[in-house]
Amino acid sequence: MAGRALGRPGGNAPYWFLAPLFAFTGLFLVLPLGFSVYLAFTRWNPLGEPRWVGTRQFEYLLTRDDTFWATLSNTFVFAGALVVIGVPLALGLAFVFSRARGKAAWRAIYYLPQITSFVAIAYIWQFVLDDRYGLANRLLGLLGFRGFDWLTDPTMAMVSIVMVMVWYDVGKNMVVFSAAIENVSKDLYEAAELDGASAWIQFSRITVPIIRPAVVFVTVTSFISGMGFFALILAMTGGGPRGATEVTALYLYEMAFQDLRMGRASAGALILFAIIAVLTVLQFRLLRERKA
Amino acid sequence: MTAAPDLGLSVAADARAATGAPGPRRRTGPKVGAAVKYVLLTLGALLMVLPFADMFVGALRGPADVFATPPRYFPADPQWGVYGRVFDELPMGRWILNSVLVTTTITLVQLVTSAMAGWALARYEFPGRANVFRLVVGAQMFPFFLLIIPIFFLLRYAPLAGGNDLMGQGGSGLLGTYAALVLPFAVTWYGVFLMRQFFTTIPEELLEAARLDGASEWLIFRRIALPLVKPALATLAVFAFVYHWNEFIWTMTITRTAPELQTLPVGIFLLENTFNDLDQKSLQQAALAVSVLPVLILFALAQRFFVSASVETGVK
Amino acid sequence: MSRLATTALALVLPVAALADGHAAPLTMAMHYNQDQAAPLLECLADYEAETGQAVEYQQVSYGEYLQTVLTGRIGGTQPDIYHLYSIWGAQMADNGVLAEPPAALADFIRAEYGTTADAATIDGTLYGVPTEVSVYMLVSNMALLRDAGYDAPPATWDELREIAEAITTRNDQGRVETAGFAFAESSSGAGVVHPFYALLASRGMDVYADGFAEANLDSPEAVAAARDLATLVDDGITEKSVDAYDAFPAGGAGMMVMANWYKSAIEDGLGSLDDVVVSPIPAGDDWKTLQYAFFMGVDSDSPNGDAAWEAVRWLNSADSADDSGVSCMGRMLSSIGALTANASDNAAMGEADAFTQPFLDALADGRTVSQPNVMQAAEIEGMMADAIDSVIAGDADAEAAMGDLDRAVEDVLFEFY
Repeated sequence: MAGRALGRPGGNAPYWFLAPLFAFTGLFLVLPLGFSVYLAFTRWNPLGEPRWVGTRQFEYLLTRDDTFWATLSNTFVFAGALVVIGVPLALGLAFVFSRARGKAAWRAIYYLPQITSFVAIAYIWQFVLDDRYGLANRLLGLLGFRGFDWLTDPTMAMVSIVMVMVWYDVGKNMVVFSAAIENVSKDLYEAAELDGASAWIQFSRITVPIIRPAVVFVTVTSFISGMGFFALILAMTGGGPRGATEVTALYLYEMAFQDLRMGRASAGALILFAIIAVLTVLQFRLLRERKA
Repeated sequence: MTAAPDLGLSVAADARAATGAPGPRRRTGPKVGAAVKYVLLTLGALLMVLPFADMFVGALRGPADVFATPPRYFPADPQWGVYGRVFDELPMGRWILNSVLVTTTITLVQLVTSAMAGWALARYEFPGRANVFRLVVGAQMFPFFLLIIPIFFLLRYAPLAGGNDLMGQGGSGLLGTYAALVLPFAVTWYGVFLMRQFFTTIPEELLEAARLDGASEWLIFRRIALPLVKPALATLAVFAFVYHWNEFIWTMTITRTAPELQTLPVGIFLLENTFNDLDQKSLQQAALAVSVLPVLILFALAQRFFVSASVETGVK
Repeated sequence: MSRLATTALALVLPVAALADGHAAPLTMAMHYNQDQAAPLLECLADYEAETGQAVEYQQVSYGEYLQTVLTGRIGGTQPDIYHLYSIWGAQMADNGVLAEPPAALADFIRAEYGTTADAATIDGTLYGVPTEVSVYMLVSNMALLRDAGYDAPPATWDELREIAEAITTRNDQGRVETAGFAFAESSSGAGVVHPFYALLASRGMDVYADGFAEANLDSPEAVAAARDLATLVDDGITEKSVDAYDAFPAGGAGMMVMANWYKSAIEDGLGSLDDVVVSPIPAGDDWKTLQYAFFMGVDSDSPNGDAAWEAVRWLNSADSADDSGVSCMGRMLSSIGALTANASDNAAMGEADAFTQPFLDALADGRTVSQPNVMQAAEIEGMMADAIDSVIAGDADAEAAMGDLDRAVEDVLFEFY
């Protein structure tokens, strides 16, 4: 450590402080990514040796593997629904809480699912959504409805997964929005109220434009994490019924660790990553430009 | 659930428009709109809480309840003994110990690495700083699923560990060790980013004075800067702790054949067939309850670090 | 950084040190939970007392078993002793994971287990000791059948439909409350695939042809078998959301196609087996049913292979027999209502109870066909379950779904045969 550095440069000090970060980047980012790219061009059952197959894995996934395409479409539905339903809901809640009595308590309650593991959430909801004797259909039954085949009907299963994921995620996004909303000057609202602006007008004309960066941030991060997410789905439906909730990341995980097709799974992961990267850049462009 | 809060908002707005009563909100008396809003918020809150309540109720059901036709929802004779059975029949103690050990280690390591890197990025001018910062922001974009396969094999072929030779052959590498559960999470990009934001807010004069006294850069970081960002560290710690207490995909991948390393969520997930029989479902729900309870208590005690602090500090 | 490194080292060292320890205990991975395995665990304690060789029992969920042992094998953290569902064997053997038993043990297996040794045989090579054998039969709750006006289980498929329909009741919301017939819901899809195998075999058709190069899943027999199952739901006789595993022991299902190993759960749920009758799956005079088996094998990389085989032999032979003359494994299997093909054990156990005897008869009368030991069997059966489920749900016509399935399965077979 070059101790006696004067002022900002600090001699070698910054590099020492960054040493763990550099080591980590090398070992757990650069090296794995390189390895992953190599694997994508091989056929490898890890009980044997990898065999170079060129771009065959990509060709197979893109031209022959219908399941891969089906899982991509499920992935888009899942991530899309998460953004379209989850983000506005979180934004609305944050706004309502910011002007509600006992806002800390409201925020805490809606944040509750965040502290639970996906395993717990998946199983808790499996019980709630049980077709015949789950809480959900029992309550609907009390009202005289037949209820839904929440997890056994393919369409409803995706609806249920999205619903549970929104239930889980809304608290986190709500907190980000709350932070942004708390920073909006109170004067603006007071002026608006004097002009007789309704809450909706205040929300749409004052709050949303000012916290736009937070909205962009949450939208993009929700979308990215939604595209690569599968923990809840693995524990809750395992991708079923009949592949209706099988998202690409889950498909690839099982391809790798169940069917031992490391090469193809790596190729698939790269394809999914490329899709996410392109869409992320697009989203940033789109959302930023609209601001200008 | 989804439409409720928005609906409340517009109803409140309509009511206000109808009565033509603007004025500061705080002084508006009890109004239909406001009442509707709170009713809807309460319904939403119930929805957040009910699934957990369902779990606690389910844990208490006995065979008499589940084998009744139709099965009873509320247990006729609550089986409190189920919580004892959870510890008798499942390696709960081991799981809890592992969860505590792994989660605490990761949290501490992440605090150290985040603070160090964040400090360097915030307070020093050095060649490559902009690129390192780009790395920190950009690396967050790499999804974890892309890294699972290669990191698994890098740990497997780690040289000289777990019976491996210099070429990484022959043994099991770092798989089946606590290190495999911790190392891939040693750095959190978001934590680095967060700490950098906080370190930039420290007035330069404080640091300058110490430098003039001849304090080393490490000493300045350790004794002056770190104490000033305690709230940020606390917030980061809480988030890291909760995230890794619940982490499951990576830990499961690594500890499938190492039951002695399994954490609570992984243990419950992998032992699913223990719970297949109808009269074992309450055992599963009790196990879930036990796994949820520690963080629930932590949440109740440190609620301000979770939500209020995040609202104030802007942590996601 | 140095602190980080020390932390890391401190975390690695204890476990690494353990791995280098001497007199390593053997690990044995099985899917039975602690309750089911209790007799076996006692035996393992005896074995350690007798021989000084510790055997650690590792429970691995049935649904996670193959993935777990394969991941373990890749990572070099695999158990020494496997307990494998026969259909996993082909993949394990093909990848060189399984060791061949010593010659003396192989002779013992062939002598003691007869044709069931086939379950542990892949491409002519024997890989272990067959343990649990399971057979599917029609299991009926006679109390429900009598309430509906029938005193005997169905003898034909049409009768099964008729009885099931008579039993089924629905609640005010139209959901099935008591189901005349119920499918078993399992993540592997076995609940529909195994009955499908039985119906297909009863029609005299094999699943595969030409040394596994081709599948017969688009044959008229296969389509008809799928249709037989699907119409139970399609015609409103039952619902797929009624899970036989839960509903039957709770007295909420009249009939199910089930394997013998579910006996204890049924007994626990219903209180007794007095009113439960086991009969052939009503698929005509030439009815056949499915049998499948587990076998114990040893990892080919195990550093203690000899000790592992010795433990396997001990557990399955007269050496571990108690006063009843039944081996350890035999005692454990009978305690959970499972069957064994071990001739000495079966002789020592004598006459089976009324529930179990029909399963044994099916085995003895050659009514059973073995589940095919094909490569990627788990993957293929998952595909079969999806296809049949889609017919059951009415999403696809039986002929179209089975045609698609046949193509997809042959694509998988093409990689290996």
